[in-house]
Amino acid sequence: MTRLAQVINLENCIGCQTCVHSCKMQNNVPMELTWNRVLSEGEDVLDGSTGVFPNLTRTYLPIACQMCQNAACQRVCPTGATYKDDKGRVLIDYDKCIGCRMCMAACPYNVRVFNWHEPVRDPDFNYGGKGVPVRPKGVVEKCTLCKERTDEGLDPMCVQNCPTKARIYGDLDDPNSEASKAIREHHAYVLLEEQGTQPSLHYFE
Amino acid sequence: MSDTKSLSHGLTRRGFLKATGAAAGTLGLAGAMTATSDWLAPTTAIAEPEERKALICHQFHCLSSCGLECTVRDGRMVLIEPQTFEDGTKGQICLRGISEIQHTYSVDRIQTPLKRVGERGEGKFVQISWDEAIKTVADAIKESKEKYGEDSFFFRKSTEASSSHNYEYLPKLLHADTGGSWGLDRGQANGSDPSGLTGNGLAKNSTKDWQNASTIVFLGYNPFESSITWSDNFTKAKANGAKMILVDIRFSPTAQKCDAWLPVIPGTDLALILGAINAVISNEWYDAEHIRNYTSLPYLVNVETGEILGKPDSKTDSTGKTVEFKMPMIWDEASGSPKYINEDGIEPAIDGSWNIDGVEYTTQWELLKKQMKQYTPAWAAGVTSLDEQQIVDLADVFANNGPSILAFGFGGPDKYANADLLGHANAIFAAITGNTGKKGSGVGWYGGGGGIPSAQGMTAWKMPDEFKTVKNKVAMYDMPYKENNIHCALTFGDCFTLESGSANNMLDWVKTLDFFAICDIYHSSAVAYADIVLPALSKFESAEEVSDVRTGRIASSVYLNQKVIDPLFEAKGDREIERLIAAEFGLEEYIPESNVQLAKHMLQNPTKNMEGMTYEALREKGSMRFKGYENYLTGETAFPNQTYPTNTGRIELYYENLLDLGLAFPEYETPEEAYRENPKASEYPLMFVQGKSRYRIHAYYSASTWFQEYFGPVVNINPQDAEARGIATGDDVRIWNDRGEFVCTALINNSIMPGTLFMAETTYSQYYKEGFLQNVTNAYRQERCYDMKFGPQIPFNDTLVEMKKA
Amino acid sequence: MELFKRNKVLTAILAILVVAGVGCWIYQLATGLTVTGMNNGTSWGLYITSFMFFVGLSAGGLIVASSASVFHIEKFKQVALPAVILSTVCICLAGMFVLIDLGNIANIWRLFVSPNPTSPLLWDIVVITCYLVINILYLVNMHRGNDHAVSIISRFALPVAILVHSVTAWIFGLQISMEGWYSAILAPIFVASAMDSGLGLLLITLVALNALKIFETPKKLITSLAGLMATCVAVDAFFIFCELLTMAYPGTEAGNIILSELFAGPTAPFFWVEVIVGLVVPFVLMVFAKNRENTKLVVFASACVMLGVFFKRIWLLFTSFITPNIFGAPGIIAGSSVAAHTTGIDVFVLYSAYAPTAIEIVVVLGVVALGVLGFMFLSSKLIVEKGAMKAKKASASEPAAIKA
Repeated sequence: MTRLAQVINLENCIGCQTCVHSCKMQNNVPMELTWNRVLSEGEDVLDGSTGVFPNLTRTYLPIACQMCQNAACQRVCPTGATYKDDKGRVLIDYDKCIGCRMCMAACPYNVRVFNWHEPVRDPDFNYGGKGVPVRPKGVVEKCTLCKERTDEGLDPMCVQNCPTKARIYGDLDDPNSEASKAIREHHAYVLLEEQGTQPSLHYFE
Repeated sequence: MSDTKSLSHGLTRRGFLKATGAAAGTLGLAGAMTATSDWLAPTTAIAEPEERKALICHQFHCLSSCGLECTVRDGRMVLIEPQTFEDGTKGQICLRGISEIQHTYSVDRIQTPLKRVGERGEGKFVQISWDEAIKTVADAIKESKEKYGEDSFFFRKSTEASSSHNYEYLPKLLHADTGGSWGLDRGQANGSDPSGLTGNGLAKNSTKDWQNASTIVFLGYNPFESSITWSDNFTKAKANGAKMILVDIRFSPTAQKCDAWLPVIPGTDLALILGAINAVISNEWYDAEHIRNYTSLPYLVNVETGEILGKPDSKTDSTGKTVEFKMPMIWDEASGSPKYINEDGIEPAIDGSWNIDGVEYTTQWELLKKQMKQYTPAWAAGVTSLDEQQIVDLADVFANNGPSILAFGFGGPDKYANADLLGHANAIFAAITGNTGKKGSGVGWYGGGGGIPSAQGMTAWKMPDEFKTVKNKVAMYDMPYKENNIHCALTFGDCFTLESGSANNMLDWVKTLDFFAICDIYHSSAVAYADIVLPALSKFESAEEVSDVRTGRIASSVYLNQKVIDPLFEAKGDREIERLIAAEFGLEEYIPESNVQLAKHMLQNPTKNMEGMTYEALREKGSMRFKGYENYLTGETAFPNQTYPTNTGRIELYYENLLDLGLAFPEYETPEEAYRENPKASEYPLMFVQGKSRYRIHAYYSASTWFQEYFGPVVNINPQDAEARGIATGDDVRIWNDRGEFVCTALINNSIMPGTLFMAETTYSQYYKEGFLQNVTNAYRQERCYDMKFGPQIPFNDTLVEMKKA
Repeated sequence: MELFKRNKVLTAILAILVVAGVGCWIYQLATGLTVTGMNNGTSWGLYITSFMFFVGLSAGGLIVASSASVFHIEKFKQVALPAVILSTVCICLAGMFVLIDLGNIANIWRLFVSPNPTSPLLWDIVVITCYLVINILYLVNMHRGNDHAVSIISRFALPVAILVHSVTAWIFGLQISMEGWYSAILAPIFVASAMDSGLGLLLITLVALNALKIFETPKKLITSLAGLMATCVAVDAFFIFCELLTMAYPGTEAGNIILSELFAGPTAPFFWVEVIVGLVVPFVLMVFAKNRENTKLVVFASACVMLGVFFKRIWLLFTSFITPNIFGAPGIIAGSSVAAHTTGIDVFVLYSAYAPTAIEIVVVLGVVALGVLGFMFLSSKLIVEKGAMKAKKASASEPAAIKA
């Protein structure tokens, strides 16, 4: 089996938001939507910090679809529009999506976004990678682990463009992949483990 | 049903659309503004999309000079990725390069030539033809020269509005005044360059050498936002175990990743370094052998006059020019007599005083020790608000956990009136701790090529000698304050508001000009004041197959920028515009006819490290690496032979030319305005500091709608200061002082020191609720700096303000 | 069409509302759900609230009617007809709200082609369909006077009625992502709420029919139904208390966030109104036999219960949307500029917010108006006309319908 995933080195994440915009570009993500965010974790302003000056802390937390093994979104989707493919990616078949947004309520990570209106693109044409589907109004979308790139054996755009190489991409079912090694060596963890979703996306510090 | 906090009020798309609508309205351009859909070919026109790749180098304003690979589908730029170099390695990119997917096509682009119809500053324009625009500009230059004289025409080109920054043709052809000292990024350089340790403030090794350091002290430097693509050098160094220390007024993204963060009161970095020098001396953590052998500190100095003992000498420099200088003397311990430093077999003493021919002499080192005595860590702690121990620790780790690098920024402490003294202190700190001339050591601003050689086989485009600029008398930032004969101006990019403080004064002066034309890509802050506005090309557009030859020293590459997309709107490249204007004077033959002609000219004789880089080869490959670039990947050493680019070959730390001011060694001096004891502080208690944001290069990217979702003109305030003024995140706040005022959005942020405000640099004025931040910044010119290499620097951060809810 | 003739003004107003609602819905179909106040943070709104509410309202009727047959509670049999009409109409409305809420209704056929058996939403669609069919069969057989069939259908109707509320509850209650939803007791809460609000609606309807002299309900039955309602209110309150106690007791961070929002946050007004107006007041009023005999008080208490349950749907749905599990700036991208316009939020929100737009409200009013018209239609057909027919056949001993 194949289980494509990312492992993120938070020590190397400098909060630069390059991955966020790489994703928007590659995946033709319209205005007002994003598949990928870098949060200043627990802060109420971007680049905010916790504590009283000068005793401060801050963590940047990149967050996108966690590619859960036990995906809550997949479970609840009434039409099977959300599915898991043979490479372990949780994907959406936009032709099957009825726009009920059950998956958005079910996802513990708030990483799914909905096309509330006809997508507004700026610039107003379809930018991004070749073969990336154009999503219509009324369907849910999210990170695909750059399906169109990873199918070709390329790294996801966010991984390729990360200036500090904080993102490691690979097959978790291959114990010798860089991603598997990073998980083992750094005791990587997942977000909201208690929810039992078994994300493929791992983090370490 | 539930309420929420507004994060970045005024940045909603709706707000943005409203703002652009208003901009279109005030510009009177409703008819002229073209919707992006109108000038794009319909997607359905071609069934199977035609796709091609184009390679360029962009951005160079942040000096990253990233090699980019752009995918073009049906004539539109759809992807921007890092280039793959010849050796198969991938280049770097950051969010700013990526955002050009939208930013290039932004509706806020200047689209056609415009002529002003309202008052200056009002922003009312009508669309005109290129012919009319060029003729108007040329006629105005002619008229001005006739009426006021040859030197009445001011010309400046900024990085943003020029697709090829290699050349400026008109200044020479039309004998323009180009505005003298630039006033930016050379505050510390004024003090550090004379030592020989920096060149234009830049370190002589590159960021690649960080991985060899054991300690790196960043002084007001925040690469994680300003220079994202070389942040990997930081993470590499840290992974190698280097101690990372940051001196910054705010808890920046860089601060978060450092082992220690020293938040000093803005403008007091000088006190910190002086305190650290004191700690190094009093704890004897200095490197005596380094001081003895490689610095000027053993030189003998007349105790009474402070003059260096020596004899007039001369030498021939690398350009073949004869340089006069003083050959200094030291006390030779071997012979027990004074000797010249170029004599063989000398053993210079660093401690002691001697009576030579009835005159009392001592060493510079003795004088330094004496002068630094007053700057105890306890004193520095009081000035900077740090703990005494933090200052001692800084000195300890820098001196004793070497090799160490002192990397200072161009954005923070550089922009105070006392920056020259800080630069001088930085050089002393690095030199006496022995952190020069070794692998993983150095001082300066890191971001240039360091020791990586630049392109050596480029053939320059030459103009006959008769064409030259007028001898500059007045710096541009000085023009509102000093008498000058400028009556006509042509600028590429917004230099008037970006390259001077106190915008109200500057723009009042601009209003007095007989004529002002601007060529820009976006509706920058100065556009509203221009008589003629010309639309410039972005770096991605070209009417020809190539646009420009560039070198990127960090990637050790020469790039031949290929055309990515056709020119948008009616925009033209800067070379073409200059040529059109030159034609009105009959001088067009001196400007290349085309980009291809210029590129072929520059690449006609690719020798030395450019071997094989012919036009044809580069045309095919897009970029090629310098010969021998592999030698620089592991970090090159600055001054590997311990020979320094000074007249004596030693690090010069005693500035004899500043004796009259008592500044042969640096003394502590408060900033001009931004210090707590300033009587003005009772009226304007907040220190207003600007710096870099990942969403900007200066004002560039203000028009990015992708970034507008995250960022706009916001001021960061400590919760304490916000509470005292009843301000909440999302509120509009008015910030003002005697120089002016502006209104922007408040963001309450713990990361900001109490008593300070932090804001990203500029942003075009149209995106503010009212005014813009340059209205309040200080335009003070440090008198002593007129005699220095770079002149007075604009002390943007040396600014006090008050703030209230708007 | 007796009821339309007698209530021309009301019929006209309702018809206008229906037309307006349909118009807004078509506008919504054309423009997208951006015309609502929903956004990526709070991805469900007034439509789903109304869906839950009307599923619940449909309960009272069918449970009362079928209990009559199943448990041989003869007195309930008297009101079986209006009760089932009510139930049928309400479940139709509930189904309509689900459809209206879909972003891409054109793909609805995918439900039948590639159903996902693990989706509670799919179960709900199936159960609601069954429930509707049972309601219709019930009505048809009652109309035909086929008592035997009615009694057989009742045996299915009662469990399906319980199931329809449970499955609706499971849409929410099975979501581990939502601290305020994920609870085993959510299905019982939904059943209890369905019972009390459904009985409330039935009582108000019966009193109204009485007043209109269309259908006479014996006062004693009203009193006894009011008593049942009070019992259900008590059970409802008990379940809610169990749920909140379970959430509060371990003192987990997630639980505390929900409780603070519920007690003092954006949804607190809905919670406290529910507790006081929806639970305490009606229970205190209806627990006394004397009050139950006062029809006006019964109507008042019923209205209180219905309002309370509607508010409960609101706090239950929205509280869990407010604070995302993974909190941090810039927050969640709202995704809908119209939502931003309505609620004053920006492109990004830290805490999610929602307020219904005028479009949403008109659509909901239109649907409800259609429901009232439907009820009037069915009542005219099945109660008034049938009553008239029966009256013609004579026999004064059957007082169920009064000749109009």
